[in-house]
Formats: sequence, structure tokens, C-alpha cells
Amino acid sequence: MKVPLSWLREYVRVDATTAEIAEALSVGSAEVEGVARVGVQGEPGLFRVGHVVEAAKHPDADRLQLTSVDVGEDRPYSIVCGAWNFGAGAKVAVALPGATLPDGLVLERRKLRGKVSEGMILAEDELDLGGDHSGIIVLDDALEPGTPLADVLPLADEVLDLEPTGNRPDLFSVYGVAREVAALLGGELLPMPGSDPQQDGDEAVGIGIDDPEGCLRFIGRLLRDVTVGEAPLWLKGRLRRSGVRAISNVVDVTNYVMLALGSPLHAYDLDLLHGGLVARRARKGEKVRTLDGVERTLSAEDLVIADGERAVGLAGIMGGEETEVSSGTQSVLLEAANFEPVGILRSSERHSLRTEGSNRWEKGVDPYVAGQAATYATQLLVELSGARWTGAEDVQAELPKPAVIRLRPERASELIGLEVAAEEQSEILGRLGFKELKSGFRVPTWRARDVTREVDLIEEVARFKLADIPFTLPRREAMFGRLSRDQRLRRQVEDVLVGAGYGEVYTPTFVADGDLRLPEPLSAEAAALRAVLYASLLDPARRNADAGAGDVALFEIARTYHDVGGELPEEHWHVAGVADGGFAEAKWAVEQVYAALGIEPGYERTSEPFLHPGKAARTAEGWLGELHPAVLDGTWSAFELDLDALAEAAPQVVAFAEVSPYPEVRQDLAFVVDEDVPAAEVLAAIREAAGGLLRELEVFDEYRGEQIGEGKRSLAFRAAFGSLEGTLTDEDVAPVRASIVDALATRFDAVLRA
Amino acid sequence: MDTVAAVDPERLQQEALAAVAAASTLAELDEARVQYLGRRSALKLALRDVRDRETGMTLNAVREAVEAAFAAREEDLRRAELEERLATERVDVTLPAGLVGQRKLRPRGTLHPSTLVRREVEDIFLGLGYEIVDGREVETTRYNFDALGFPEWHPARSPRDTLYLGDETVLRTETSPAQIHKMESQRPPIYMVSIGRVYRRDDITATRYPIFHQFEGLAIDDGITMADLKGTLLYVMRELYGPEREVRFRTHYFPFTEPSMEPDVSCFNCGGAGCAICKHSGWIEMGGSGIVDPYLYEFVGWGLEEYSGFAFGMGVERTAQLRYGIGDIRAFWENDLRFLRQFR
Ligand SMILES: [Zn+2]
Repeated sequence: MKVPLSWLREYVRVDATTAEIAEALSVGSAEVEGVARVGVQGEPGLFRVGHVVEAAKHPDADRLQLTSVDVGEDRPYSIVCGAWNFGAGAKVAVALPGATLPDGLVLERRKLRGKVSEGMILAEDELDLGGDHSGIIVLDDALEPGTPLADVLPLADEVLDLEPTGNRPDLFSVYGVAREVAALLGGELLPMPGSDPQQDGDEAVGIGIDDPEGCLRFIGRLLRDVTVGEAPLWLKGRLRRSGVRAISNVVDVTNYVMLALGSPLHAYDLDLLHGGLVARRARKGEKVRTLDGVERTLSAEDLVIADGERAVGLAGIMGGEETEVSSGTQSVLLEAANFEPVGILRSSERHSLRTEGSNRWEKGVDPYVAGQAATYATQLLVELSGARWTGAEDVQAELPKPAVIRLRPERASELIGLEVAAEEQSEILGRLGFKELKSGFRVPTWRARDVTREVDLIEEVARFKLADIPFTLPRREAMFGRLSRDQRLRRQVEDVLVGAGYGEVYTPTFVADGDLRLPEPLSAEAAALRAVLYASLLDPARRNADAGAGDVALFEIARTYHDVGGELPEEHWHVAGVADGGFAEAKWAVEQVYAALGIEPGYERTSEPFLHPGKAARTAEGWLGELHPAVLDGTWSAFELDLDALAEAAPQVVAFAEVSPYPEVRQDLAFVVDEDVPAAEVLAAIREAAGGLLRELEVFDEYRGEQIGEGKRSLAFRAAFGSLEGTLTDEDVAPVRASIVDALATRFDAVLRA
Repeated sequence: MDTVAAVDPERLQQEALAAVAAASTLAELDEARVQYLGRRSALKLALRDVRDRETGMTLNAVREAVEAAFAAREEDLRRAELEERLATERVDVTLPAGLVGQRKLRPRGTLHPSTLVRREVEDIFLGLGYEIVDGREVETTRYNFDALGFPEWHPARSPRDTLYLGDETVLRTETSPAQIHKMESQRPPIYMVSIGRVYRRDDITATRYPIFHQFEGLAIDDGITMADLKGTLLYVMRELYGPEREVRFRTHYFPFTEPSMEPDVSCFNCGGAGCAICKHSGWIEMGGSGIVDPYLYEFVGWGLEEYSGFAFGMGVERTAQLRYGIGDIRAFWENDLRFLRQFR
């Protein structure tokens, strides 16, 4: 909502600068995106009313006029001009040398085709008051030459760019903003503009409401002997500065009143209507060509304005082309109305058509303001188009009655956390238009949708006291700040992987394909929720490697989504990593994670299409391996573990065993086994055979060679034996050792190497 | 001899395709290629000498078909050779990392800047006695919209703004649904911060990304006030942006709070004098906040005035952008190590 300050100040008398107004609004009412200075920025004294004393064709240029203009100095100024819509005797708008035009151009004395030109006779676009450049501005003959142009035309202004929230439709009007400014800064709000001119005739208008749910109020007014032409510059200037294009005096008046009061209006060419107008739902398949030239096929939910034969407009959104006011229009039917918001919103969405009108209706316009809007528009049409007002009708469904809400001032103070005296609360609400009655506060009609409960009244009070609210902390009786176990575990895994050289990345939740597809995807690559993470890491890994980064190792902790047939998918936290280098890289990272969490993992050979067939393992919680070269060029490893499963597996308490005071016996054992016997199975078998004396066991070497034989390898283990009872000797350990050798021979045909 | 007449295109093609199929190694395939597509092959010679257009086209079609067959077969054989080679490379996956091959000595990695900020925010609120709640990301519209007081017509409900998974399931547009679940599971005192990914249908630009992270606080207890909200935010902002920071409220509108305010923090860059970071206002917008709308109490079946509470929400990426001076939000998702490795 763009609000020219000169317009705003017509409705509110307030002793405050523009900056103060902007600040007060932005804190108390709605965001102020900015304040723009528009129009003439420089010295305004160089813009004058001029009287054209002489005007003739430029001797050396067919398209230029050479004029002599009285600008209130002791001699006339010579000005060369390209427009021909005036002659000697005209009063014109002149900019003298040194003047800066709104577009930044600084005028200079200069020669045009050999003749000196001392300034410029201005067209409306050169003053940023309109879009017309077909001729210069011709002013009222009664004006004295030399009069400052700023006295005659709105040369400069400031424009507030306000962004009201959806609950404040009243702020989509200059008058509504003025009301707010008056309340915030203690100014005086002047009465709403507009008073009915003398009615000249009593014709029936013939309007009706067929759908009282969609249309609460329909006012029609007839105007005869209309002369369609251009609106005056002051009005065009305000429309322009409010971001609305000028079209013709009749259409401009409807837009001007909408901006002023917030209630959109529409004007029809009465002679093109077949009978009166009614607000009704469209017939399925009914068509209307809207003002933008688009033929729209309507649905039965669309509200239309229709004459006796057809729809003549999409109610509240856009009028129809066939009944549009044009230069030849002589009689006008003016519509002021009130439409229900949600229906307008849906229609506007359905037809992808948003207008200044729909933007207001969809937020909920005060139905009571429609009457004043009709009045003001009638007044302006009579004044500006020479029309006679010949008929009026106001059809109303049941308008909502203003609510009366009780306010407990102590409840307000309690919730705000600041003692606000009851009288001050009443005073604030009074300034905002709430009427204090015995039973409570009567909500003004323009706030009826937003303020329905006591807490809404409290907000009204609070927003006037925001700066005074003190800074306190809740007085707590219970404190319980701690990360959950899962959260602590995630942090732990993050830290472990960072320590292992992995850099954390964040990749998108979406993938191209999967079980959980979005009906309306973001893009072809973002069309489904991912069930695994590692695949999302491949692209960043490749790109970083291509960019020349060394030691590329990436990990991510995020959710994965699994369709299990319920209403909602299951969400599992996963951790995945991708690193340059072979199987050992992934193995190391996964070992670190398990070790940190105190879980003893079991590794088994596995196969996945994306993994190297001979270098892939799985655990109970996930997998790891070297990536298949077809997945990522070069040698890369990867892993992915389910963090929820890891949390499940991680011991909650540490199982601690007493340390023996007696020295341990350490022995190395090497066995030759078949190639396909996994080391882990041998380890497990040793543990089982060794019994209670075994303290530690690890595999520390793998060896292949001629003396071992084809298809065989040697695995070396280091074992430590000990007892809490006393020092063990080699003799104590010998039987244990023998049973290990036996067990391995039986199970794996393993042979102890000397 | 007439090289063109010597060629029977149909037969030549059959022969060539048969030879392609018969090649079982890349070497055999190369031999066949020389024979059928080499410079001195019957086909190439005929193509060189052919004069009439129709025969030329026929021969070219044969050449194309044969070339395509060679290419496809080569791909198959390469893949097969690769698989064969891979099959011979086997490790004992149960061996410790130190025994299954070379491993790099890598420099320490880094946490993502969003994680650094997330941890910091978590720690600040843990210190204030809040619990941290993750919540789920796919939510029903009941929890994502209805429970939070979003009216039927609210634009956030439109698929133009929100990512729907089903008719009544969405990717959460804020982390607030976790708060409703919490309220349903226990009575106050509730002091919690929900934190995690949220989703909006946005085009990717320097300032918008369809996925981002939010942290949202909720405090419900006896006698919570707007002043408590203001004081809590002041504490948090000073922890994040320095002890000199000030906080102010601007009125706003959110469906789930009443009154609703946007908190601003005084600019840490210029101290309030005005600069590019604060858009010359001296204040930086931090997010949304307000007093919990009694509608939420009604939704979970509590009395409207049994408790009072406040809620606020802010962006993790935005916080990181302000903390580290990161201009472009896409940097958080591009995963360029040259960027990420600076966050230590
Ligand atoms: Zn600043």
C-alpha cells in the first residue's frame, strides 16, 4: 500500500514529521518498507506558471515552436517547445534553467536549432504526474504568470510504502492509515471525505442480491450526461504515486475512492447493460470477457455481477469488457458493494487474477464503508465529469452487528507484564474507534473481523505500549534443560566424524525418484523424499574433487523417510559419509563411530548394486564399502548407518570389569585358514574357546605367500590372558592355547603356524 | 573390381552384427571392428566409391547400425571386464581398517556453519532450562495448520506456498507442530525449543531456499507475560550478537499468537547508526514472536486462562548469515569445501 503523505495529511492533522509517522506506523501498526521522495526534488522556485506571449513555428525546424513566455521576471523567456496543443495566450507550466526534473535531468540554457531555449514548457510525464506526453500541460487561464508551480500542482511528495498484515484490511486505505496515525501520534482525524451532491432525478436503478452469502451489500447509483475525459492532474498525480494507472475521469474516480476509503467500486456504461444488475453465482460454463481482454469460463462458485442477459463482471475482481466505460459513455451505473472474502480469494486463485480490488476484498472490507464510498465517488463524478446524479439504491443482506467485548484491565496488565492504568487502556481503545459501553467495548466495523475476543483487545492496548514493556525472565519453579539421549548421540557422531577428517554437509531432502513422491514436485530433481542419504553426497563429492579439493570426505546427519503404509511416513535419522579412497576409509570411519558409542559391531560381507562386489560390508545398523566405479568415477568409499538403530544398540550404562593387579600373559598366535574364512569368525571362535582367562584379543596381521599356499592366508592374533586370583604362568595358559588350536582346527581346518 | 557391386548391404549387416555378438572380449571386438568398419573394409570402400544416392543411403544406414552395435557391445564388454576385475579384488571386510588397505591421514574435518549455530542456540536454551525437541518433518495439515489457528483461507495452506505429500500431509512449514505434540503429551510448565528443517515452495535465490532450519521457542507456565518474552529474547540476542545489543518489538500478525510481535535486535555492525546490514534502520529483523493464542489451549483441551505462554521463531541460516556475514543463502547448500572448511 503506497500512501502519498500529502494525501494522508488531508485526513489527519498531526504534529509529526514523515519520519516520525513512518516510525510510529512501523512499530505500532504495519511494516514500512520505505519512504520514497517523488516528483521534483530540487529547488521548487524554478518551476513557475508561465504565460505564453508569443508562439510561432521555429524558423529552422518544422516540428518545433518558438515561444516567448512571461514567467514573472522583468523580461519574457524564450523557450523552444515540441508540443503544439497550445498557442499564444495559454498558461503553461515552466521549468527554468537550473531546475531539476523528477527524472534527474538538470535544465540548462541551450540552443535548439540555432535558437536559445531558456527552460522547458512541461508535459505531465515530465513532472511525474501522469503518463501523457502528447502535449504540454495547459493551466487555468486565471493564474498569474510567475506563480510558483507548487501552488498549482503537486510537484513533490513523499510516499510511504506500507505492508499491512492480512488482519488489517482497514490499512489498505489512506483514510484507514490516517486513522491509525491519529491514534498512534495523538493527531486529529478529520471526517471521511465525500458528501452527496444534489440528486437530480429519481430513476430506478434496478439492482439486487441473489447470493446474500457472497454479496452483503450492493449500492447502485445512476449518473447521466457524463463527459468522459481525462481526470484533473491532482487526481492523476495521486493515482500515479499510489501505483495506479490513470485511465479516464470516471474510472480514475472509482480507483481514487478505493484508495481513499478502502472499498473498491466499479463503473458500468449504463447504455450497454440489458436491464438492472444482480450479484449471483455464475452458471456453470458461463463466460465473461474481463477488462484485460481474457475470456474466462466461470465455475458455479464464482460470484458475478450480471445484467438481465449475462455476466458483466467477476464480482470484486474485474469488470467485463463489453460494459466497460469508454470515451463515448454518457450514462454510468456506479457500483459500490461488499463481497465476502474467501469466495473472492478462491475465484481470484482459480482465474489467476489478482487486482487492487480482489486484494482488498479477500482480506475483508468493512461493509459499512460502502455507503461513504458511493457518496464520495458520486460527488467526484458530478464535479469532474459534469454528470447529473439521477438515481440511487442500496440493497443489503444482513450486515454483521458490531461485537461488544468485555475487557478486564488487570488481565491486560497481567498478560503484557506492565501495569497499564484502566483509564489509559480505555483511552487507547477510544482513539482506535472502540466505543466504551457498560458491557464492554464495541468493536468498530472496520476491525470486526480481527477483533473478536478479549485477547484481541489486549493486543490493541499492547501495541501502543511495546516500547515500555520491561525485560523480565519467567519466574520458574522447575528447570530441566538437557539434550535428549538421541541428541547427545548425534552430536557425538558429528564430532567423531569431524575428528576422522570428514566435513559436514547439508544436502536437500529431495531426490528425483522414490516411494514418497510429491504430487507437485519442486523440480524434476526434487520430486520425492529420500530414503537414503549417501546418494545425495555423491554430487558434492564429485564437484569438490573436480574443483581440486584434496582429501574429500563428506558426511551428513539428516532424516530419511520411509513409506510404511500409514498416514505419515516413518522418519529415521541416518548418518552417511563419502570419502575419496578405498574400503579402509569407510571401515575406519564406521569403526570410530561404533567405538565412540560403545557398540561392538558385527561385520558381514554384503552386496549392493552401488558397491564394489568384493568390498562391501553390512552391520546391524547399516552398510559400508567401496563405491562401485560406475557410481562415482575413481576410488571412493561410503557408509550409511541408521542413527535410531545405533541409539538402540548403544549401551546405556558402561559395563566395567575389575582390573587385575597381576601382570598379564601376552601371546601371539598365527593360523593359516582358507581365504574365505572371515577374520571375525576366527576371532569369535578363539574367544569362545579361550574361556574366562582371556582379557584382550585382536587380529594384527594378515599374510599371504608361497609358503602359505594358494587360496589360503595367515591371520595373526594377539591375546592377553589374566586372572584376578594371581599371576598366570605360560603353563597356566598352555591348556587354553591348546583348546583354541583344537577349536580352530575343527571348525576351520586352521593350522597353527610355528 | 567394383567395390559397390561387391557389397550386399543386407548380408553385410547381418554378418557384422553376428561378429559383434560373437566377440567376447574387447580385443576380439576390436578385430571385428577393423574387419567391418576399418579403412580397408568392404563397407568403407563401397561408401568411398558409391555414386548413386539410393545405394549411398542404404550403405550409410548399414554403417550406422553396425557402429551402434559396436558401441553397445563395447559398453557391455567394458562393464563385464570391470565386474570381472572387481570380482578378483576382494577383501576380508571383517578385518580392522588397519589391515584392509591404505588409509589417508586426513586433516580434521569441520562442522557445517548451520550446525555450529544450531549447537550454540541449543546450548543457550539449555542454559535457560529449555528442552530441545526435534519433531517430525512430515506432518498432517491438522498439526501444521489447524492446530495453529491458520484460517481456511490462509495463503500458507495453498500448494503454491506449501509442499504437500498427500491431501492432508505436508512437509512442515514451521517447527511449531512439535509444540502442539508436546502440549498434548504433558501439562505445563513447558519450556522447549523445536529446531530443524522446514519447507516452503520457493524458487532458489540468494535470499530464499525451499528448505531452511528454524528454531522456535515455547514457554507455557503460570503467569508468563510479554515482558518475559522480551527479556528472554534480549538474553538470547545478547548471547548470540554481543552484550551491547538491544531488543525492540514491532507489532505484527501470526495465526498462533495474540498479541503478535516481530522482535528486532539493534544492529551489531553499526550499533544503531544505520548501515547496509540493517538497511539503514539501526535494527535487524529477527523473526516472529508473540503470546500463545488461547486457541491453542482450546485445541489441546486446556482451560483458556489456566496458563499463559509465549512463542517465538527464528531462522538458523539467517542467524548464521548475520553471525558470519554470509551474503548468499545458497552457500549453505552448495557444500563447497572451500567455504565449509573455514568454519572451525
Ligand atoms: Zn547497521
